[in-house]
Amino acid sequence: MTTDTRINFALTTICGAAALSGLLFATSAQAGGVTAGTLIENTAVASYDDGAGPRTINSNTVTVRVDELLDVTLTSLDPGPITARPGDAVLAFELTNQGNGPEAFRLVANPAVAGNDFDVTVRAIAKDSNGNGVYDEGIDQILTAPETTDLLAADAVLTLFVLVTVPEGASDTQTSNVELTAEAVTGSGAPGSVFAGAGVDGGDAIVGTTGALATARGGMVAGMVSVQLIKSVVLRDPFGGTGAVPGTVATFTIEARVTGTGTINDLTVTDAIPEGTTYAPGTLALGGATLTDAADGDAGTGSDAAGIAVNLGNVSAGSTSTVTFDVVID
Amino acid sequence: MKKLNKIMIAMSAIAMALPAMPLAAQDAASPVVLKGDVMAEKVITAPDGSETREMVPPTTIVPGDRLIFGTDYANSGSDAVSNFVVTNPLPAAVRLAPDADPALHVSVDGGKTWGALSALSITDSDGTTRPAAHADVTHVRWVLASIAPGASGRLTYPAIIR
Repeated sequence: MTTDTRINFALTTICGAAALSGLLFATSAQAGGVTAGTLIENTAVASYDDGAGPRTINSNTVTVRVDELLDVTLTSLDPGPITARPGDAVLAFELTNQGNGPEAFRLVANPAVAGNDFDVTVRAIAKDSNGNGVYDEGIDQILTAPETTDLLAADAVLTLFVLVTVPEGASDTQTSNVELTAEAVTGSGAPGSVFAGAGVDGGDAIVGTTGALATARGGMVAGMVSVQLIKSVVLRDPFGGTGAVPGTVATFTIEARVTGTGTINDLTVTDAIPEGTTYAPGTLALGGATLTDAADGDAGTGSDAAGIAVNLGNVSAGSTSTVTFDVVID
Repeated sequence: MKKLNKIMIAMSAIAMALPAMPLAAQDAASPVVLKGDVMAEKVITAPDGSETREMVPPTTIVPGDRLIFGTDYANSGSDAVSNFVVTNPLPAAVRLAPDADPALHVSVDGGKTWGALSALSITDSDGTTRPAAHADVTHVRWVLASIAPGASGRLTYPAIIR
């Protein structure tokens, strides 16, 4: 036999059977390709003239079934490392079934990634049940161990949340990653690995280019805010010197430095009046502006018995507040 | 059953188009026989990195895999037949492979018009026209002026699973 793919442009009648079958041309084009279990059927039709007139014959139909391709991708949905403070934090991920058949994926969240400055505790993995892209406690379903997604259709996309607890020990700007892994339940491995009979409709399942295993990292940077108080004193004795004698005025300066990342709320600076001294009324000041001693509209109070207190309110990192007051040595 | 209906519709369409066709010719056994087959072409990478292509039965196939559809024809009659046209609608789940013979006679409109792929164009839904691509091909066909008595041959086209 010879293989003949030559074309002869002789005019002939167009085969009616072929034209009609062509109307069935419709394809569900998907990322993962033709759906697993699809039957590919091929039939050739020939027309010819045997001298007694035109005739048409069909070939037998050959059929092959498309097997299941196992592929998965996983990406972090966070635009960058999220700012984390001690307590609860949420990392968001997106899983896509890149295969061509329904598949479930087993999930593992590893908080101990090499290079971490601190490790968080993974509390749970949840799925975005209401599909709004934000973790809603009590609404988004917490997956029970071993954490596994539902059977996801080909091309289906699922948002996942990894719920973590940031430890108290982390200090500002330290970083940590959590690595989420998704693996096809049917199996994973080198691309091309075959799980015989494990696919759709009893077909085979074949590992695709992703290895049917995907990992993605969600990053965190510790956003810790801290306050440092620096207290200094300047003495002025009644004789124009700096001796500590009765009548000497001691001016205390308390610098409240807020450093790190974020804001500290309701910061109040308090100080007691030292033994053997008396508060000099009307000397309390914040940033050079005098505050009244009474508990009134302004931020400060001052008295010999209770000492001084200045409420700085909400202070963002990077700012310094200066509180000053005078006492007189008894 | 669906397939059978399709063939019957096709047959009646031909009968309408050619009302003068002698019925006797339909009844006699066809001197020409078509036999279809399909193989999967797998690329085997040797340890030294060289690649060889191997034809294997398509027992395990997934999107992206390459299939070779073949049709063997044979004229077992004692007379030559003429105007031999073999038409093969592409299954919807495959596309014509990019390395198919550029001269292969194809249709991108369900078998209405034919030509080499480079001569065909597609009008998209927005009214713009673009050159037809391999993925647009709906049918392939081969046209042979005649087949001598006892002659046989093989027609193939490569396809990639969508």
